[in-house]
Amino acid sequence: MFHWLEKHPFFFAVGVFLVIAFAGLVEILPNFAQASQPVVGTKPYTLLEMAGREVYIKNSCNACHSQLIRPFKAETDRYGHYSLSGEYAYDRPFLWGSKRIGPDLHRVGDYRTTDWHENHMKDPAGVVPGSIMPAYTWMFTNLADINTAYADQLTNAQFFNVPYNKPVPMKDGTTLTVPMAKSVAEANAMALEEAKTISADMKDKDVQDMVAAGKIPEIVALIAYLNSLK
Amino acid sequence: MENRPLEYDYTVAKMFMLTTVLLGAVGMLIGVILASEMAFPGVNTMLGSLGLNEFTNFSRLRPLHTDSVIFGFTLSGIFATWYYVGQRVLKVSMAESKLLMFLGKMHFWLYILVVAAAVVSLFMGITSSKEYAEFEWPIDIAVVVVWVTWGLGIFGLIGIRRERSLYISIWYYIATFLGIAMLYLFNNMEIPTILATSPAGETGIGAWYHSVSMYSGTNDALVQWWYGHNAVAFGFTVPIVAMIYYFLPKESGQAVYSYKLSLLSFWGLMFVYLWAGGHHLLFSTVPDWMQTMGSVFSVVLILPSWGSAINMLLTMKGEWQQVATSPLIKFMVLASTFYMFSTLEGPIQAIKSVNAIAHFTDWIVGHVHDGTLGWVGFMIMAALFHMAPRVFKRELYSKSLMGTQFWIQTLGVVLYFTSMWIAGITQGMMWRAHDEYGNLAYSFIDTVTALHPYYTIRAVGGLLYLIGFFMFAYNIYKTMTSGRRVEESELQSASPMAA
Amino acid sequence: MNKLYLAGAGFVAAMLGFTYVAMDIKGGLNGDIVNMLAILGAIALVIVSVFVVTKYVRQMQSDTAGGELAEENWDSIGEYKNPLPMGWAIIFLGLIVWAAWYFLAGYPVNAYSQIGEYNEDSAKVNAKFEEKYKNLSAEELHSMGESVFLVNCAPCHGLAADGMDGKAANLTKRLEAKSVVYVINHGSMNNIAVSTDANGTKTTSAMPDRNGLFNSTTNALITDAEIEKVANYVASGMKGDGADIFASTCSSCHGPDGKGMDGVAPNIANFTTAFVSDMLSHGKKGAIGSMPAFTNLNATQVKAVSTYITDISKGE
Ligand code: HEC
Ligand code: HEC
Ligand code: HEC
Ligand code: HEM
Ligand code: HEM
Ligand SMILES: [Ca+2]
Ligand SMILES: [Ca+2]
Ligand SMILES: [Cu+2]
Repeated sequence: MFHWLEKHPFFFAVGVFLVIAFAGLVEILPNFAQASQPVVGTKPYTLLEMAGREVYIKNSCNACHSQLIRPFKAETDRYGHYSLSGEYAYDRPFLWGSKRIGPDLHRVGDYRTTDWHENHMKDPAGVVPGSIMPAYTWMFTNLADINTAYADQLTNAQFFNVPYNKPVPMKDGTTLTVPMAKSVAEANAMALEEAKTISADMKDKDVQDMVAAGKIPEIVALIAYLNSLK
Repeated sequence: MENRPLEYDYTVAKMFMLTTVLLGAVGMLIGVILASEMAFPGVNTMLGSLGLNEFTNFSRLRPLHTDSVIFGFTLSGIFATWYYVGQRVLKVSMAESKLLMFLGKMHFWLYILVVAAAVVSLFMGITSSKEYAEFEWPIDIAVVVVWVTWGLGIFGLIGIRRERSLYISIWYYIATFLGIAMLYLFNNMEIPTILATSPAGETGIGAWYHSVSMYSGTNDALVQWWYGHNAVAFGFTVPIVAMIYYFLPKESGQAVYSYKLSLLSFWGLMFVYLWAGGHHLLFSTVPDWMQTMGSVFSVVLILPSWGSAINMLLTMKGEWQQVATSPLIKFMVLASTFYMFSTLEGPIQAIKSVNAIAHFTDWIVGHVHDGTLGWVGFMIMAALFHMAPRVFKRELYSKSLMGTQFWIQTLGVVLYFTSMWIAGITQGMMWRAHDEYGNLAYSFIDTVTALHPYYTIRAVGGLLYLIGFFMFAYNIYKTMTSGRRVEESELQSASPMAA
Repeated sequence: MNKLYLAGAGFVAAMLGFTYVAMDIKGGLNGDIVNMLAILGAIALVIVSVFVVTKYVRQMQSDTAGGELAEENWDSIGEYKNPLPMGWAIIFLGLIVWAAWYFLAGYPVNAYSQIGEYNEDSAKVNAKFEEKYKNLSAEELHSMGESVFLVNCAPCHGLAADGMDGKAANLTKRLEAKSVVYVINHGSMNNIAVSTDANGTKTTSAMPDRNGLFNSTTNALITDAEIEKVANYVASGMKGDGADIFASTCSSCHGPDGKGMDGVAPNIANFTTAFVSDMLSHGKKGAIGSMPAFTNLNATQVKAVSTYITDISKGE
C-alpha cells in the first residue's frame, strides 16, 4: 500500500492530510462543544481597560508575563486563587503567555495599585532593585487608541454576544452592567471619565495635565487594565 | 529518455538562499540583542537618546526575533532547498515549464513583500499576541497567497516528474505544505474590527488592520497551541528531516540505511505529532484528559523522531573517515544528534511532574534552542554549503573556515542550552520553595537576580553562534565571487572545497 | 570498555558535575517529588543521549554499511532494505504500553483531576503547618514575619522597610509628617478599626478634615502653622514642639499620648499588631499612595508580619 501511495502523489497527500486532520479534530472539538462560559464575577472589559489591554498586547508584555495561575500551593500562595476557565470568557485573544521572565499578572490588580504601577512602569529597577524589566517611558506620552478599543468592544458585542449594557452576576450576589457607548464621540467621553479616576491617583504632573486637556496617555489605559486583573 | 544529464534551473533556489542568509543574520543578531537585554537591562535603552526605546526594548523585539528566524531564516531555507532538491529527486527541471518558473519567481517576490510588511508591522507593535502567529489579518491573507503559490509549484513539479515514485524528502515537503496550511488557517480565524458598526451607525472605526480572535480564553489557547506545537512540527522538524534525508546520503555517497525505518518514522511522526500539542497547556484550564493525552503522545513521539535520526546515523555506518575529515558531514551528524537530544528533552518536559517545574522557565528556552540552533540551524547551513558549489558551479571557498565555524557554533550551542537548563531548573525550584514556616522562600525578584550569571553565559553562547553564522555567510559569499570554477563531474557526492 | 564509551561517561560526568556545582540548589530538594523528577529527567536526558549517540558513532568507526539495495534510486541516492533496528522497535512497543498505563493508571482519564490533587496537597501542607503554628515563640513570629515581609511587602516598602524614597510608607517609624498633614487636610476614612469587641466585630470611625478640627485653646480652626507643627510632633514620635497643639486638638480622640482611645480613634504614636493586621484586611489610601489589602495571607502569617512591623518600628 505504501509503495503504491508513493507513486500516487494525490492519494499520498490525501492520506497525510487525513492522518493529521484527525488528531486535530479529536483534540479540539470536544472542548468547543462545552464553550467557555463566564464564571460569576467575570465582566466584560470597559473601554479604557480594553484600550489598556491593547497597549499590553502592542508591547508584548505577554513575552515576559503569564496570566495563568497553575493549581500548585506555591503559585496560589504567590499569586492568589488558581485560574478558572470561565474567567477568560471575554479574553480575545487569550494572554496566558508561555514564559515567566517576570511574575504572573492574572490577579495583579489584587496586590498592586495605580501609584505603584506608575512608579514601576517608569523605572522598574527603581522600585524593584535588580529588575530586568524595561522602562516604558514612552507610554507616558503616547496616546491610547480609544477608537480601536471601541471597535473591539463593538466587535465583541456584535459577533460574540459579549454582554455589554446587560447585567452580569457578581460574586457578592449583585449584578453589574458594563456600559458601552453609542457613538465614537460618546466613547471618547466615557474613556476620559474613566481616565480621570485613574490619573487622580497618579503623581505625574504631565499625565494629569494631558488628561485634564482631554487626552489619554497609554499608561493610564494600561493601569486601568492592570487594575482590572483580579 | 534523454542521454544528456538534465540542466536543473536554480534561479529560484538562489534567490531563497540569499534570503536564508540575510534573514538568518538579522534574526540571530536580534536574538543576541535580546539575550544581552536580559543579562544587562541597560541595553534596552541604549538608543534612548535617539528616542528609539520604544522599538529596541526586549518586548517589542522578541516577536521580531522569533518571526525572522522562523518565517525568515527557516522558511527561506525550506524554500531554497525545495527548489533545489525537488527538481533533482523528481528528475525534472524548472526550465521545462515556463509556468513553474513564473510561479517560483512570483512565490519569491510575494514572499519578500510579506517579509517587509511583517517587519514594519512588528516594529510598530501591530501584533495579535499569539506566539508564532503574531501577524494581523492583512498579512495573514498575504501569507496564504504565498503558501498557495508554493503549493502550486510543488504539485506542478510533481505533476511533470520523471521519477515515478516519490523520494522520502518529497514526502516530508508535501507534509510541510499541508500541515502548515491547515494549522495557519484555523489559528488565524479572526474578525477585523472595521466590520463593526456603532449604534450611531458609524463604521470603519479605529485601526483598519485590527482584529478580534474568533475563539476566546481557553478555546483560544487550545487552538493556539495546537498550532504552536505543530508549527514546530511542520516548520522545525518535518522539512528539516526532508533536508537531511537528501543532503546527508548525497554528500556522503551512502545509501539510506533502511526503507522500513524511513516509512515507519514518517507515518509515525504524522500520526503522533498532532496529538501532542496539549503539553503546552499542562496544569492550565483545559480539561485534564486532554492534558494527559498531550503528555502521553509526546513521549511516544520520541520513537518516530529518533527513527529518522538513527536512520541517518546508521547511513554513516563505517564512514568515520568522512565524518572526521569533512566539516560538512560533521554539521549534519551533529544536527541529527541535536535532533535526538531535543526530541528526548521535549518528551521529558512533557511529563506532568517535570513540566510543573519546566513550564514558564528558561529550561523551555534551552530546549527551543538546542533544537533550533543545533538541529535547524546546522542542517540549513549544511544544506546551503552543499548547494553552493552546485548552483554557483564553484568550489567552496574555505574548508578550514568551515571547520572553525563548526567548533565555534558547537561551543555556542552547548553554552546556550547548559546555561538555560541550569537557569530553568533553578528558577522552577526557587518558585516552589517554602521555608520552615510554610511561607514562600523567595520573592520573585530573588529568582531573577539568581539567573543573572546564566543569562550572561547564554548571551556569550549566542554571540559565538552569531559569529559562526557570519563566518558561514562570508564563506558562501566568497564561494559565489571567488571560488575556483568546477566541472559537473566534480559534483557527484562530496562537495569540492578549497583548504 | 571501549575508549569512546569512556569518553562519553567522562562527558556526562563533567556536565552533571558542572551543573551540580553551578546550581547550588536553592532551598534544597525539600522532599518535593516534583523537584526530584525534574532533576532525574535532566540527568536521564544527558545520559541517554550521550550513550545512544556513542553507540552509533562506534558503528561509524568500526561497522560497515551493507544490505540489499532497493531497485530505485533518486538523484543517485540509494536505499537499503534493512530491517528495523531491534532496540528501536522494542522500545517503541514498550512506550506504547507505558502510554496506556499513564492514561489509564498514572493519570486515570476518568478519575484524575488536577484540582483534586491541588486540594489534597494544600490540605496536607496546611495540616503540617497548623501543628507548627500552635506554639510559635516571639522570635519565631518575628523571623516568620520577616520572610512574609520580604516576599509580599518588600516590592513596595523596600528590603529595609524604609519605603524606598517615598514610594510607600516608611515602616521603620509610625508616621511621616507629610502623611499627618495630608490626613489633617483631607480627613481620613480608611476603615481603621477603633475598637474590636469580644466577637471580633470591628468599629470604624472617620476623622474630620481641617474644617472640623478645633484648637480648644484658641477656639479656632486649626491653622497651617499649627498643622505643620503638630505633624512634626507626631512624626517625631510624639516629641518636640507641638505638644500643646496636640493636647488641645488631637488628644480628645487619639488620647493624650497619641496611643488612641477605644472606640474613638486609632493609635498614631506607634504600630501595634492589631493596627497592622487590621490594615492588611482592607488596605489604605493616603498621602503616599494606596496600600492594597492582603486577604491571601493566613491568620498566622498576618500575625507574624504584624509582629515584625511592630518590632522594627521600635528600632530593633
Ligand atoms: C524583559 C522582560 C519584561 C517585560 C518585557 C515586561 N516585564 Fe514586567 N516584569 C519583569 C520582571 C523581571 C518583573 C519582576 C521584577 C519587577 O517587579 O520589576 C516584572 C514585574 C512586573 C509587574 C509587577 C508584578 C508583581 O507581582 O510584582 C508588573 C505589573 C509588570 N511587570 C507589568 C508589565 C507590563 C504591563 C509590561 C509591558 C508593557 C511588562 N511588565 C513587560 C519583566 C518584564
Ligand atoms: C474626631 C476625632 C479625631 C480627632 C479630633 C483627630 N483624629 Fe486623627 N483619626 C481619627 C479617626 C477616627 C481616625 C481613623 C480614620 C480612618 O479609619 O482612616 C484617625 C486617623 C488619623 C491618622 C491616620 C493614621 C494612619 O495610620 O493613617 C492620623 C495621622 C491622625 N489621625 C492624626 C491626627 C492629628 C495629628 C490630629 C489632630 C490635629 C487628629 N488626628 C485629630 C479621629 C480623630
Ligand atoms: C503595592 C504596594 C504595597 C504593598 C505590596 C504593600 N504596601 Fe504597605 N503601603 C503601601 C503604600 C503606598 C502605603 C502608604 C499609604 C499612605 O499613603 O498612607 C502603605 C502603608 C502601609 C502601612 C501603614 C503605614 C502607616 O503608618 O499608616 C503598613 C503598616 C503597611 N503598609 C504594611 C504592609 C505590609 C505588612 C505589607 C505586606 C504584607 C505591605 N504593606 C505591602 C504600599 C504597599
Ligand atoms: C518529540 C519531540 C518534542 C516534544 C515532545 C517537545 C515537547 C515540548 C514541550 C513539553 C515544550 C514546553 C511546553 C511548555 O511547558 O511551555 C516544548 C516547547 C517548545 N519546543 Fe519542543 N518538543 C519536541 C521537539 C522539538 C523540536 C525538535 C523543536 C525545534 C527544533 C522544538 C521546539 C520547541 C519550541 C519552539 C518550544 C517553545 C514553545 C513556546 O513558545 O512556548 N521542540 N516542546
Ligand atoms: C544567535 C543565536 C540566537 C540567540 C542568541 C537567541 C536568543 C533568544 C532569546 C534571548 C530568546 C528569548 C528567550 C526568552 O524569552 O526568555 C529567544 C527566543 C526564541 N528563539 Fe532564539 N536565539 C538565537 C537563534 C535562534 C534561531 C536560529 C532560532 C530558530 C531557528 C530561534 C528561535 C527562537 C524561538 C522559537 C524563541 C521563542 C522561545 C519560546 O517562546 O519559548 N532562535 N531566542
Ligand atoms: Ca514561548
Ligand atoms: Ca493573525
Ligand atoms: Cu510542542
